Amino acid sequence: MSETYLTTSNLLGLAGDLLTAGTQVIAPAQDAEPLVGPPQSGPRVAYRVIRKPEEMALEAGMPANSLKEFFLPSTEPLLKWRYQKNDVELKEVETTFQPRVVLGARPCDSAALEILDRVMGWDYRDELWFGRREATTVVNLACPGEDDLCFCTTVGSGPDSVRGADMLLVPSGDGYFVEVLTPKGEALVTAHRERFSQVEKGRAEAEQFRKEAKAKVDRNLNASPERIAGWLAGHFEHPFWDKLALQCHGCGACAAVCPTCHCFDIVDEPEGVLGGTRRRNWDTCQTSKFTVHASGHNPRTNQNVRFRQRIMHKFFIYPERFEQVLCTGCGRCARVCPGGMDLLDVLAELEELAGTEATPSKGAA
Amino acid sequence: MQELQELAKKLLSEGRVQVVIGYEAGAHGVRPAFVTDAADCGRLIFDPRCVHNLAVYLSPRRSPVKRLGKPAVVVKGCDAKAVAGLLRESQIKRDDVVLIGVRCSGVLADPRSGATLTGETVADKCILCDLHEPTLVDHLVGELRPPLPDMPRVSRRDLMLERISAMSPAERWAFWQAEFSRCTRCYACRQTCPLCFCEQCVADKSQPQWLETSPHPRGNLAWHVIRAMHLAGRCVDCGECERACPAEIPLGLLYRKVAQIVEARFKHRPTEDPEVPSPIGKYSLDDEQEFIL
Repeated sequence: MSETYLTTSNLLGLAGDLLTAGTQVIAPAQDAEPLVGPPQSGPRVAYRVIRKPEEMALEAGMPANSLKEFFLPSTEPLLKWRYQKNDVELKEVETTFQPRVVLGARPCDSAALEILDRVMGWDYRDELWFGRREATTVVNLACPGEDDLCFCTTVGSGPDSVRGADMLLVPSGDGYFVEVLTPKGEALVTAHRERFSQVEKGRAEAEQFRKEAKAKVDRNLNASPERIAGWLAGHFEHPFWDKLALQCHGCGACAAVCPTCHCFDIVDEPEGVLGGTRRRNWDTCQTSKFTVHASGHNPRTNQNVRFRQRIMHKFFIYPERFEQVLCTGCGRCARVCPGGMDLLDVLAELEELAGTEATPSKGAA
Repeated sequence: MQELQELAKKLLSEGRVQVVIGYEAGAHGVRPAFVTDAADCGRLIFDPRCVHNLAVYLSPRRSPVKRLGKPAVVVKGCDAKAVAGLLRESQIKRDDVVLIGVRCSGVLADPRSGATLTGETVADKCILCDLHEPTLVDHLVGELRPPLPDMPRVSRRDLMLERISAMSPAERWAFWQAEFSRCTRCYACRQTCPLCFCEQCVADKSQPQWLETSPHPRGNLAWHVIRAMHLAGRCVDCGECERACPAEIPLGLLYRKVAQIVEARFKHRPTEDPEVPSPIGKYSLDDEQEFIL
């Protein structure tokens, strides 16, 4: 929509203005100090609700968590129940939320919001998800390319992608070249007009930043999600899967840090004798318990088929239904995996298989 | 390295094992490797990036690994203690596995790191290491490098424990509440633990349900305290849970504290001798009983 410029000090000022006005601000921030890790590993950087502008750490590296937890918390109440004589009183939770702003979202995290809107609004409208989406203005910060595990450019995003964002900041000089993308973004600029430059500047430097970041990420992986989806369609059974996940521990670390993994479990937790809370909690297809039937039967018998499910859902099933890959290329799964499972390797191998084998017609699975 | 590769090749080609579980260099750091073909043994490496405890792959619940056949597994001293734990608790039989011991002077905290091994970059578990040459093994390879000149005298974990011990109960409560608040119950701590081998974890049981699965303060406190208790006298301090935790919760502090209590009370420290029973697995008339009301 429109373009403007924001100096670094005005970004801090903007965060301060928002906080003073009572708006919740979510931003990458640093913990005080590392507790037990090797000293060189440095403090943990994570998105969190900040209380002071100085807590923002926009250039301290990729946040360890994704933005997902601010829209789909790892646990949240859905309703409360209480027995009343011969009746049960149900109390639903609020689905409207106070306005809030994310400052300095990574493009791989905002893209996930747009991708997940599709499933969250598909067979029923998830009021909690959309309540939070509507209350939130997302300001992206273009990414320089974190490391050799980034592959956003392979999966339809990029280090300066605006998917799911209301505004994009691109480092330029002593501040940021700003693209205002949506009415929510316009509203933020209008409400804080004095923080933004009246003249458009910094475009050339921003262009250079974007070009360099893209080139850096492009080097990491050469694969085509379309070709891979085509191969996956016809190869539910294939020797490739049989040894795929030998080193996988079957934990949910990858899903926990994944911006797009969104499966949840619903539990009823009694609180005292007469009442309780129904909650939804993050779940993951990587645990053996995920598919256990009430009878005790488990159709996914081992970790190889569970990991196949992870790949199938992200690169075949979701794109088939929603025309988007369920992955933003952030690389977090490979960074955290204690068993060294490496999604970039898996995709590179699938690309090779897809290139060398003729693809049978769909439905062969 | 060549010694390790030659040995693996011999074991596989003579049919003494069907898979060698070791380490290989991937595109993005070192990772566990499962070599089933003698011709592939050149993949195997051992260097300071080999931090993973491969004993976890011997657990009976690893069905895809089990299906490969009899394993040989590369073990450092700390890993050998975990194998001893599996033997002690009757999870595996000694004859069902070939143990390839590697002499180890310390590993890096991060297998993706390209750093040189120094007192700054070394994994915390190595600061406390008392077993550079495992003895519970069938073969021993590699060379022991001289100790790091700048190896810290006290582990960072013990320094942190001292700080926590000095806190008031309220401060300590606040500390752990803040740390546990990041837990999403992904169970990476449990899944990477070679001694968390239960077919049915107490956390997964729903009839009866012993603890809440929700990652709220109540559920997380219950989970982490239960796990610490279940590891009392059993944890070999390999540090895998802490390395695996995507929320960077300093879990090792809990288990180390419990280990200190067990050592003080029962004079027990987990070793690589499977014949020494853990305190939970034996009864002695000399056991302290003053806590029994």
